[in-house]
Amino acid sequence: MSAVTPLLEGRGVTKRFGGLEAVKAVDFKVMPNEIVGLIGPNGSGKTTLFDCLSRVQAIDEGSVHFQGIDITRLKPHQVAHMGMSRTFQVIRVYRKLTLLENMQVSRQWRGENLWSQMRPSHKDVEERSRDLINFLRLEHLTNEPAGTLSGGQRRLLELGMALMPDPELILLDEAASGINPTLVEEIKDRIKTLNQEQGKAFLVVEHDMHFISDLCNRVYVLNYGEKLAEGTPAEVMENEAVIEAYFGS
Amino acid sequence: MTVPPNRPPTKSRLVLLVALLVVLAALPIVMTVFPDQTWVTNSRLFSFTQMFMLITLTSNWNLTGGFTGYVDFGHAVFFGIGAYGTGIFMNEAWPFWPSMLAGAVLAAVFALIIGYPTLRLKGPYFSIAMLGMFVAMREIVRVAKPLTGGGVGLTLPPYLNRPLFYYVTFFLAVLVVGIMWWIRRSEFGATLIAIREDEVGAEMRGINTTVNKIAAFVLAGFLTGIVGGLWAYQNTFIDPDGVFFPSRTVELVMMAMLGGLGTVAGPVVGATTIYWMRDVVWANLAEWHLFAEGMLMILIVLYAPQGIMGKLGDRSGTSLLRVWRNPLRRSALEEVPEDEVSV
Repeated sequence: MSAVTPLLEGRGVTKRFGGLEAVKAVDFKVMPNEIVGLIGPNGSGKTTLFDCLSRVQAIDEGSVHFQGIDITRLKPHQVAHMGMSRTFQVIRVYRKLTLLENMQVSRQWRGENLWSQMRPSHKDVEERSRDLINFLRLEHLTNEPAGTLSGGQRRLLELGMALMPDPELILLDEAASGINPTLVEEIKDRIKTLNQEQGKAFLVVEHDMHFISDLCNRVYVLNYGEKLAEGTPAEVMENEAVIEAYFGS
Repeated sequence: MTVPPNRPPTKSRLVLLVALLVVLAALPIVMTVFPDQTWVTNSRLFSFTQMFMLITLTSNWNLTGGFTGYVDFGHAVFFGIGAYGTGIFMNEAWPFWPSMLAGAVLAAVFALIIGYPTLRLKGPYFSIAMLGMFVAMREIVRVAKPLTGGGVGLTLPPYLNRPLFYYVTFFLAVLVVGIMWWIRRSEFGATLIAIREDEVGAEMRGINTTVNKIAAFVLAGFLTGIVGGLWAYQNTFIDPDGVFFPSRTVELVMMAMLGGLGTVAGPVVGATTIYWMRDVVWANLAEWHLFAEGMLMILIVLYAPQGIMGKLGDRSGTSLLRVWRNPLRRSALEEVPEDEVSV
């Protein structure tokens, strides 16, 4: 193996909810400039692992490292400042804020003090917000409250919010669900561009295997909270254990 | 933040607002120049002074309860600390202004100390914890007799100058509403609303929710402490039951809800409406006025949870002047669906 430090690494990550072990000692790596998929049947622990890696959930055992730094005890906003952002399976947008404001409050807060927040947004923040809104084809809704958007539009907005702080690693939790196929293709292209031209890494949870196989360099498969398989999309899709987990024996 | 959707002050509305402020500023002058007229009297100036205080208090409460979504049932504790701080320092022969400032600083420091543990609580747990703080502080004041006079209370040097109190409370109300307007349009205001809408999401997106919540809490505590000091000096006497009046916070909640939670103009509209309704109409209902207040609260929650400003279409809460907009001219697009309104 090369000596390159993984961008994100989970070592023996374990999460329990009472007697239920939702994630069982999972080892996990996302290397720089890589797009990694995370798949598994419903209830396999994908989102819980996502939550553990992004510090939404505290882990019971193991450790999580980002850019070589142990982030196991850090707060979510500190992890975000280090360059990790994410979307959520259940969409989280600020319904009473306009699209533009949603984007602006998702910007990079690194090094900002409270006093500097007592003024309207920087011009460059607004420009970046508008660029992303245009990319997502939501420009006609720029000044509408996010609560008036449809489910698909909210999903797009959330993706824009994840891209807004220009992170090193973006965790996408079913980012393409509920979005029309044409736009899904564009999102894939955008992810590839960000990956190839800017070196952004992605960790993607998705049920759409075409989406995964088109994008990802490597795929992890979870089942009942355990890592079932790991490899390229083609290897994983031919794996007997994976087929059994999805379709039964 | 950039100016959100409802582009407000058109020139005519701005003129209307300035005219209203000029008229209010001129009332004490009218009383002096035309002593024979009967509308602007000392008593009426006192009523306006009370109303300005309520506008200020409701706006302060709205910063944590409306913008940030932390419904504070013990906000009057800061009022009490401001009042007692002022009273104690004045009894030590300090002049009024430094005493009032010291009382407000005490309230802010108290907010800072209790903010860290209490703002970790969510929803009703926070509300009840703050109610507990309020009750506990009242009892502390009652037993700390050497400092606070205990149940007997404290007497402050009398200063019966209605126009002065009128102007101070008037400018304080204008200043505080201006601060809230500025906050709502700043990144700080948007982060507070982001916290209200989805605290986990805000934290995940890099917002230090703890610092932002505490900052709002401390600012609200400080400004409410100032009002407490003014109230104490105007009243010339303070005792635990008068200062820590149990329904004071509930009044603020009701006023903010009637006007529109989380809006800039809502507390102004709510406090003004309820104050004059109470003063003019409910005074005639004698002991039934509390029943009427309770009914009003129930009706607001059931039929207008977004308050008057919400009904008038102030979706983002940034417009101070929305109240003058003709609701009939609203486009259908400006309607906020009922299910999108969070209380």
